[in-house]
Amino acid sequence: MRIEEEQIGSVTAADLHPHDDEVLRDNRLSRAIDKVVGKIGDAFSWLWLVLLSVIIGNVILRYVFERGMIELEELQWYLYSAAWLVGLSYTFISDGHVRVDVLQERLSLRARMVLEFLGLILLFMPFVLFVIIYAIPFVELSWQTNESSTSANGLPARWLIKGCLLFSFVLLMLVGFSRLMRVLATLRYGAAPTAEGAKR
Amino acid sequence: MITDPSQYMAIALFVSFIALIFTGYPVAWLMGGLAVAFTAISMIFDTYLGIYVGVDWGYSSIVVGRIYAVMNNWVLVALPMFVFMGIMMDKSGIAEDLMTDLAKLFGRVRGGLGITVVVIGVLLAASTGIIGASVVLLAILGIPLMLKHNYDAALACGVVCATGTLGILIPPSIMLVLMADQINISVGDLFMGAMMPGLMLGLLYGLFILVYAWLRPSVAPAPKDAEPVRLGLVLNVLKSTIPPTLLIVAVLGSIFMGIATPTEASGVGALGATLLAILRGRLTIAGLRDVLQGTMRTTSYIFALFVGATAFALVLRGFGGDELIESALTSLPFGPGGVVIVILGVTFLLGFVLDWIEITLILLPLIAPVLVDMDVNLVWFAVLFAVTLQTSFITPPVGFALFYMKGVAPKGVTTTTIYRGIIPFMIIQLIAVGMIFFVPSLATWLPAVAYGP
Repeated sequence: MRIEEEQIGSVTAADLHPHDDEVLRDNRLSRAIDKVVGKIGDAFSWLWLVLLSVIIGNVILRYVFERGMIELEELQWYLYSAAWLVGLSYTFISDGHVRVDVLQERLSLRARMVLEFLGLILLFMPFVLFVIIYAIPFVELSWQTNESSTSANGLPARWLIKGCLLFSFVLLMLVGFSRLMRVLATLRYGAAPTAEGAKR
Repeated sequence: MITDPSQYMAIALFVSFIALIFTGYPVAWLMGGLAVAFTAISMIFDTYLGIYVGVDWGYSSIVVGRIYAVMNNWVLVALPMFVFMGIMMDKSGIAEDLMTDLAKLFGRVRGGLGITVVVIGVLLAASTGIIGASVVLLAILGIPLMLKHNYDAALACGVVCATGTLGILIPPSIMLVLMADQINISVGDLFMGAMMPGLMLGLLYGLFILVYAWLRPSVAPAPKDAEPVRLGLVLNVLKSTIPPTLLIVAVLGSIFMGIATPTEASGVGALGATLLAILRGRLTIAGLRDVLQGTMRTTSYIFALFVGATAFALVLRGFGGDELIESALTSLPFGPGGVVIVILGVTFLLGFVLDWIEITLILLPLIAPVLVDMDVNLVWFAVLFAVTLQTSFITPPVGFALFYMKGVAPKGVTTTTIYRGIIPFMIIQLIAVGMIFFVPSLATWLPAVAYGP
């Protein structure tokens, strides 16, 4: 028995919840934002492969040459956090963040859009903005003091990884804005005409 | 019970969370957003009413430092690597080949196809650890085959749901990595603790299928056209089972023997899965990109919850929510065993609306100190917690696994069929929870033998 490649793809994407992506109306700006952030996410997803190589390199050094390298261990969490931080907005675009949609499925498109709108402006955006506001001094301090690792052989430029935190939340704000535009457009003009789910 | 007015805020925060979950807004952002909203409300109380409830902007801004603590948590680096390993194993077609070969091997036995699903579920437990993914994978592979051979649809669905969720329990599972991190125990210990209960559940499922098929041959008939078992077939089966088994044994073994840290082992496992895929000629550049993007999505989906739960837990703690829970738990008149049962009961109920990630992130850090004070063995508790969560995910009418199952089930399989099929497995789960509860050595024996008391 062979399964189609697409089916496996859908299994691994952890994107199993039904979502409204196809009914949302695009506009030029939202498409542009989603495209750019998507490309950034694609590029950063290769960091997982780099991380894999660094871990293996570290293992070889430790077991074959019997030396541990603090730099490599630090590099591991640098890579890991840079990748998942940028992944937050990447996953947002494909609406991959987990929802409890037991009731949501039974609501009308309009009700779902109103909820999505309220969620965006009352929950998502304030939270992202909050983190951005307090992340700025956090990164600034690290930059001004030229903070580096506390271990002797650690990596320099700690502000770089702290900056990733700020960067990722700015990306989140962008994709949130893009989604807000799409939700508003859908509320105003109805479901996207191309959507299969438009009749719902 | 309430010692401080700010604890009313803690209760309000938690109640709003549970209520707003049902709006369907992504849980991660709901938690983060509520943390900020409740900080704002506290500011209003403070500024206009002169009531300080323990939380203000300055306090909540610690969340940035907390997110940074998640970023430089070296143990958690293992998580995306195990995700990578699971996705790579799926992509390499190992699961399909196992299904085909094992089905031929066990096909002659009544209930053999059911056993096949259980074996694959246990072997590929490493698979992403996202319940939906493993249930869907097993359903796509197993259901059509079982139905083709006239299996009872209810039994087929039950097997798939139960085995699909078993994956989160059997090491190396990312759920165990996350739990170990939250309650400050070693990942290796927890892996070992979960090993026997996980295998035991797999065995019980298998036994049930065999006995049921023997009692009522019509539910799981032996295929009429099964080919006889020849040496070539056995060799084929070995060829498809040995590499993934070896890989998992190597990963777990190196952690158990204390040779490698979980992070190192996860990297080796991810490399191993990649090599398997290459050897089988299944890995293309496009395939690799899919695996990487899948890893990115799954990992970020987990870490978004991490970020949201961190903010939520911080504000909840600011309101004195942890003391509230502690005093509520310690005031229970049952002693440690009773407290554990109460916690498991709450976990079971929460499992209806929340995935294991949120429950682990919110609940475990709050209750772990209480359990430590009561001298409860944390490995034992974590295993019980994990089995309870798994049970919750297959409990009708709202278990997660059942929704996923319904989503991919062939036409004609009704919700009632799925519910009917899952009941025997729920009973098995309850028996298992009871066994682990009354015989703690099921969970604690292996880690104790390995590392000494």
